[in-house]
Amino acid sequence: MRKRLVVTLVGLFVIAYGLLIGTLATGTRPALGLDLQGGISVTQEPKEGTPFSDASLDLAVEKIRERIDSLGVAEPEILRQGNTIVVNLPGVKNQQQAVDLVQVTGQVYLRPVLSQCQTVDLSALGSDTTAAASETTGVGAETTVAEPQTTGATETTAGAGPSRPVSGDNVAVAPETTAGIMPISATETTVPMVISPAPDTTGVASETTAAPETTTVGSTSPDTTVVIGPTSSVPVDENGLPIAISNPTTAQFLPTFGANPPEYCYVGPAQGSGEVFKDNATATVLNGGWGVVVDLRDGAAGNDVWNSLASQCYYKDTTCPTGQLSIELDGSLQSVANVNEPSFNGSVQISGSFTQDEAQQLARVINSGSLPVTLQLQSVQNVSPTLGRDSLKAAWVSGFVGVLLVLVFMAFYYRTLGLIVALGLTVSGSLLWGIVSLLSRTNGLALSLSGIAGIIVSVGVTVDSYVVFFERLKDEVRAGRSLRNSAMRGFQGAWRTIVIADLVSLIGALVLWYLTVGAVRGFAFFLGLSTACDLLVSYFFTRPMVLLLARTSWMEKRKVMGIEVSSAPAGGAA
Amino acid sequence: MSDVLDDTATDSNPVATRRSAAGRLYHGETAIDFHGRRFIGLGASAVLLLVSLVTLVFGGLNLSLEFKGGVVWDVPSETLTESRAREILDANELDGAAARIQVLSSAEAGRTVSVQVGDQPDAVRQIVQKAFADEVGVTAEDVATTSVSSTWGKSITTKALRALVIFLVLVALFITWRLQWQMALAAIASMLHDVLLSVGLYALFGFEVTPATVVAFLTILGFSLYDTIVVFDKVSENQERYHGSRMPYADIINVSMNQVLMRSLNTSLAAVLPVLSLLVLGAGVMGAGTLSDFALALLVGLLTGSYSSIFVAAPIVTLLREREPKFKPLMGRHSTGAELERLVLGGTPSVRRDPSRQRAGDADRPTPKSEGLTHEPRPRKKKRRV
Repeated sequence: MRKRLVVTLVGLFVIAYGLLIGTLATGTRPALGLDLQGGISVTQEPKEGTPFSDASLDLAVEKIRERIDSLGVAEPEILRQGNTIVVNLPGVKNQQQAVDLVQVTGQVYLRPVLSQCQTVDLSALGSDTTAAASETTGVGAETTVAEPQTTGATETTAGAGPSRPVSGDNVAVAPETTAGIMPISATETTVPMVISPAPDTTGVASETTAAPETTTVGSTSPDTTVVIGPTSSVPVDENGLPIAISNPTTAQFLPTFGANPPEYCYVGPAQGSGEVFKDNATATVLNGGWGVVVDLRDGAAGNDVWNSLASQCYYKDTTCPTGQLSIELDGSLQSVANVNEPSFNGSVQISGSFTQDEAQQLARVINSGSLPVTLQLQSVQNVSPTLGRDSLKAAWVSGFVGVLLVLVFMAFYYRTLGLIVALGLTVSGSLLWGIVSLLSRTNGLALSLSGIAGIIVSVGVTVDSYVVFFERLKDEVRAGRSLRNSAMRGFQGAWRTIVIADLVSLIGALVLWYLTVGAVRGFAFFLGLSTACDLLVSYFFTRPMVLLLARTSWMEKRKVMGIEVSSAPAGGAA
Repeated sequence: MSDVLDDTATDSNPVATRRSAAGRLYHGETAIDFHGRRFIGLGASAVLLLVSLVTLVFGGLNLSLEFKGGVVWDVPSETLTESRAREILDANELDGAAARIQVLSSAEAGRTVSVQVGDQPDAVRQIVQKAFADEVGVTAEDVATTSVSSTWGKSITTKALRALVIFLVLVALFITWRLQWQMALAAIASMLHDVLLSVGLYALFGFEVTPATVVAFLTILGFSLYDTIVVFDKVSENQERYHGSRMPYADIINVSMNQVLMRSLNTSLAAVLPVLSLLVLGAGVMGAGTLSDFALALLVGLLTGSYSSIFVAAPIVTLLREREPKFKPLMGRHSTGAELERLVLGGTPSVRRDPSRQRAGDADRPTPKSEGLTHEPRPRKKKRRV
């Protein structure tokens, strides 16, 4: 018995302090929430009354995460709660940029490719090539940050819309400034994908070219330099490349998804959306390689739109001079493919050098686009970091003083037993710190003000466990039991109380965590965590500690507990 | 546990040696007749609840932006006046007169003019942000803005309320399972009492209800339930203990309340100290405004949470249970004074209600617990031997 108690006690000490030392040594610290370090919080929800597919919402969240990751924001928090998406960007100051970044549409667009896709030579990026726009498609203002109050972006392509395609010449705009020029080496890229009617409906065995990707990298001949995005306000990723914000009404440069090195294509205005497809796209093996097969919706909204676009590309009209059609999702081209037939009858297949994963991703994109989600901005909150820093300091200092006061009171009331409370609080504190640090590293958990406050309040509940135990211990001792016996009986009684009361807190924490968003959710998490720690520490620290001490003669002195202890050994008084 | 009979008190006559009031409190020897004074507590609570409800109905709550929806611009400026801010709003086709403008000052952040209007499109928010920035000569980024659509505000409120209802149903089921349904009812009633009082305080003083306040209300809710359950656990324990003896329910409650009194006082003090520190030091001295709301609501809630367990929840359980067939004949005959004190110290009920068993000096002698049994222990079942 005694050995087991010692092992339990030492075990918990090792775990708690090990966790603390480990996290301190590796420099893992709890990430600070938005209200503590300042930043921007954006909340979006699907538009009410509009049907959308779950896949589309999932994809929208992924897309937001992808964009934020590429921006390199430290400790972003992207929470999906039911249909609500909350994005917390600590440390980000430019509010407009943040809003643009997280506003993904979930819309899938069909856009003709106006000029051959080109890879970006990353090695040439650093040089200050101020080459002016050259060739036919020098485009400046198209990679616009959508600023709703200015209509500048659409003015450049007045009259351009999804229904009225604009020829490539019309949208060629000279760059306004040479800032942010990005040289793109003009390497011809063989497009490896082919769009063709499904064989079972048309009977036309479409010959897929299935060409290997022959993207040549690193040919640094800057004779053909294309300028993308002269505006300095465009958010830029870690490579210095602009993060593309889709503008389906104008021609613009957009990156192809997953291309390495980055590859940009100049695409025309959207001429159709993913809604032409039914949501039955599946990845399947086509002609010995992976591809995607999907059906078209009937009538004007589906077949007709698709076929008009397909014929433009097949005959290489001015609206689709390359004969290639791209499928775009939120500023990145998921697929760029040659159109093999002028007319399709109900079914489309996209084949090429896909891997299975790529084909499945494309199928997901097409399915989500067939019933896209429309996200609406619900709230934009800008938390000033100065306020945050003050609050943080105040919360820490006052929390520390508060705990100190509690310990003074405990020492006053329970005399030396107060030391056990103090030691116990360091164990709880170490556990909490360690777990929060680890979670904030692995799961992106952020410590918010309401979380800190939740912890401070939980001090009261944690101390209550000691109070309940010590009061019982004293009752038992007063009843004349030996110390050793009182400790055991006292703990049994107290443990029952602690478990019932803590379980209610845990139920509350779980329900609130599952069903709410924002500050309340953060609070619920820390309440649950500190309650669980309370149970753990009560059983694995307080119990063995007091039981072991009760075996010593030290506890029998009056000053230890503040009451007389019967010196009669166990069982001897009756 | 070999020594069940090892129950002899060190002091053979605890009533005879009186300690001071504080001493008795410290040693758990109080004998306060909570039951006899139950209407004082219930009455006070009823009056406070009435005041809360009246202010809530007539005054209403001052809900923050997050619940109503709207846009706020926080303009850092030493010179911007309220009227100038309204002019800027008017110039941007917003109703300047209807805007809520507050001037906030803090030692570190300086003077900030906070301008709040109703729900606006994002474009308007940006234009006005720029206008304010130009006016006071800072960049647009320095003007912090917050915008919340009104539908969003409604949806978080509904979500929180739904979560609350589910939580209460689960808690009621849990308490019914572990304790009794009467206790579940009483615990939830006293929790509502605590939350209503804190909400009423907000309505009375017109404090702004922010998401942080809601977190505080939830903490109160949690703490109130927690505290009530600790108290009820003691009651439940005493119910088992006095199961065999004929004892009015009021006595069980009175004994439990006295036994748990010191624990309740200690716990509320331990819970209140950090919050008090948060309020006085954090919000008062160090000026973290977000904290003051929170800490104030908590302070009130923690105090009422401990109070209501003893003065609201327990009387409700008594009310619900003292009329049960088992306790009904004994109603109105609860012990007070020395008799109660003897019970609190672990004695069994005096035999005065059962004259056939009365013996001389019985009332003064603390009886071992095992004597409290009125019936013989059930004989051990005969096991069939194979």
